[in-house]
Amino acid sequence: MDCPTCEAMVDAYLDGELSASDSAEFERALEACPDCRKRLEAGRAMSGLLRELPLEPAPDLLRARVERELRAIAGALRPAAPGRNMRWMAMAASLIVAVSIGWVGGTLTGRVGPGDDELVSTFMRVASSEHAVDVASTDRHTVKPWFAGRIDYSPPVHDLTSAGFPLEGGRVDVVGGRKVSVLVYRHNQHRIALSLWPSSAADVPAKVTMRDGFSMAEWRHAGFEMHAVSDIAPAEMSAFAAALDKAIDADR
Amino acid sequence: MSETPKPDGATVERFRAVMLPHLDAVYGFARWLTRDPVVAQDVAQEAMLRALRYFHAFRGGEPKPWLLRIVRNTWTDMRAKSGANDRPLEEIEDRAAEGPDPEQSALAGDRRRHVAAALAALPAEAREILVLREVEDCSYKHIAAVLDLPIGTVMSRLARAREKLAVELRGRLGRSEHGLPDM
Repeated sequence: MDCPTCEAMVDAYLDGELSASDSAEFERALEACPDCRKRLEAGRAMSGLLRELPLEPAPDLLRARVERELRAIAGALRPAAPGRNMRWMAMAASLIVAVSIGWVGGTLTGRVGPGDDELVSTFMRVASSEHAVDVASTDRHTVKPWFAGRIDYSPPVHDLTSAGFPLEGGRVDVVGGRKVSVLVYRHNQHRIALSLWPSSAADVPAKVTMRDGFSMAEWRHAGFEMHAVSDIAPAEMSAFAAALDKAIDADR
Repeated sequence: MSETPKPDGATVERFRAVMLPHLDAVYGFARWLTRDPVVAQDVAQEAMLRALRYFHAFRGGEPKPWLLRIVRNTWTDMRAKSGANDRPLEEIEDRAAEGPDPEQSALAGDRRRHVAAALAALPAEAREILVLREVEDCSYKHIAAVLDLPIGTVMSRLARAREKLAVELRGRLGRSEHGLPDM
């Protein structure tokens, strides 16, 4: 084998793309060709460097987003007999009534808590970048008034840039059957969804838990019940809660 | 696309079993194409949804190259739609050189950071083929399927990409120390 052929085979040999007989032929040719041996070693070295690169697995958030889409598609397509459908609608109607009663009697006083699922859903809507916020502003004087007329209370709004959690904006979402204010903060490349509503109960310090790869914090401070969800680390979530409490206290 | 049959519950289940195990590869490829972890997630998600819509056309065979081809097309379309070009290289290099942030502790190690920066700095054509070969471990045949190229073109393009990477690496790493090509 002359050297140009040999050179042309180096890559294919490295990549395991030669047939057994071609490989053997190449190896024999290699002994007589120091340049090609050098080339082969260089190629191996580069391949080794690239293969040393750590693989980044799909983030939990992405996995959850895809799962959610699949569930939604599978759920929306579930065939339903007409009679069955009617029963569901009737049940749904009575459920709406029940939720409304529960809201007047319960949620307003902070006794009925939202399900974790709902809070994670809120975060999902916030985390999918297309439509994160309804009002995009880092200025609390823009975000706070925006809620007026959309919900029946005025949430405390603070930009926490100095603590590493810049305010991105706000939106309204339904949690526990009630329209609530959701403030969206950013931490590095992660978003934090903070759902909050008034509560007359006593302050409770933030409790941070992990669920399905999400950090969830809940606490009560200054007459508001706070629920934060994000894909940041639990320690960062605690720092976020502390920064928010501090900003609210400084404002009082 | 509106002509394609809608996926039913059984299709979604089959998709989940066949395609979802390759989500890491989908994200990994998108990560190198976009060079942005946030955009990569959007591309990966959109690609998975497209893959589900096209799933009726999947006739067995290797799921990974089939998916990676959709990832690449999705990224091409999204970029064309937003009118955004590749971001300037300086920015990429700066970011890659920022050092391991706590969430990417996997990217620890000076050498690996330099290698990642060198790969990120390559033009898209060279970068994608190297990632398919060395990171995703695709055969020439699979690369040909992802990039929609004849095998011969895959080989010549791969050789050119390796030369380009060697140049990038030599600028970042000592050549003798790492036995890098002295071409």
